[in-house]
Amino acid sequence: MEGVPIRNARRGDIPSLLLLWQAMMKELSDMDARFAPHPRAREHMANELAKWLQDPNRHVVVAEEGGRLLIGFASAVKSPGNGWQIPSQVARITDCYVIGPRRRNGVGRRLAGRLLDVLYEDGIDTVRLSVAAKDPGAHAFWSSMGWDNLEEILEKDVEPS
Amino acid sequence: MAAEYPGSVRAARRGDLQQLVDLRMRFLGETAHEEPRLRLLPDARQRTEQALPVWMGQDDRVLLVAETPAEGDEEHGELVGYAMGFLNVWPPVFQSQHVGEIAECYIAESSRGKGLGGALVKLLTEVLLGRGATVLRAAVPVTNPGARAQLDAAGYAPLQFVMERRLNAL
Repeated sequence: MEGVPIRNARRGDIPSLLLLWQAMMKELSDMDARFAPHPRAREHMANELAKWLQDPNRHVVVAEEGGRLLIGFASAVKSPGNGWQIPSQVARITDCYVIGPRRRNGVGRRLAGRLLDVLYEDGIDTVRLSVAAKDPGAHAFWSSMGWDNLEEILEKDVEPS
Repeated sequence: MAAEYPGSVRAARRGDLQQLVDLRMRFLGETAHEEPRLRLLPDARQRTEQALPVWMGQDDRVLLVAETPAEGDEEHGELVGYAMGFLNVWPPVFQSQHVGEIAECYIAESSRGKGLGGALVKLLTEVLLGRGATVLRAAVPVTNPGARAQLDAAGYAPLQFVMERRLNAL
C-alpha cells in the first residue's frame, strides 16, 4: 500500500470526495448519534467541496489506487488565531478518512503527513483537529503521530424530548 | 437573581467595560498559566479593549457580569466575574444547528465558592435557550479539571477532543 499515490484533489474528484465524505459521516454518526447528518448535508457538502478546491487557504489531498479509485482524502484549512492567544495563525485538519478495507496500511498517515508538509511550507507552526470522544481509534491514531490533547468540548442536549 | 445569590448577576453594561477588560485579562492569564499552549499574544489587552464594546452590541452574543455590593454604595457594585456565550447557527452538516456556546466564565479567586459562577452559567443558559439553542457546548482546556468537573456536574458529556501538534519538529 506504500505505493498508493497521494495527490492534490481536482475538480473531477468532487463526486468521489462526496461519497467518501458521506461514508465518513455515516461511520461517525454510527459511533455517536450526536453527529447524525442534517437531511440537507449531502447537498450542502457538494457545494462546499467545490468551494474548498478554489479556496487558497484550504488544502485537499486524496489517495488514489490504480490511477482511478479514491480510497481516502484529507483536508486542512488555515485561519487567523483568535487574536489574544497564540498562535497568531493556525491550521485545522477538518477531515481525514480512508475506506475501511484499505486501513492499517499507512494511507491515513501519508495523507496527514502530506497536509502537514504543505502547511509547514506555508509557514504554519500549529495545527489542530477535533476527534470524537467516542472514537478511541482515531484518538490513538493521532496520538501515535505526536498529537496531544489541548481542550475537551462538552455538550448538553437541551432540546425538549 | 439578587435574592438568590450572595452577589448578583446581570447583563453587562457599557459602564462595566474597564472592569470587564481587567477580569478578562485575569481569565486569559490564568488559562495561560495552566496551559502554556494558550499563552497570550503581546497585544491581547489592546485587542480585548477593542473587542468588548463590539461584542456588547452583537445580538448573537451574551455578556453577563457577577457583581458584589460595594461597601457603602448600594447602587454601584464591584464586578467579580463574567460569562460570555453566543448562539452559533451552523450550516446544515449535523442535525444540531442551533448551538449555544459557553465561551468564557470567570470568577475572581477571592469570590469563588459562593455560587456566583453557577449563577452566571444558569442565567447564560437561560438566555441561550431563549434564543433558540437546542444544545449547549463548552470547551475546557485539558489542564483545567476543576472547570471540567463543574460541567460534568451540570450534565455536560464529552463530545470531542481538540488535539494539537506543533510543526517545528517536522
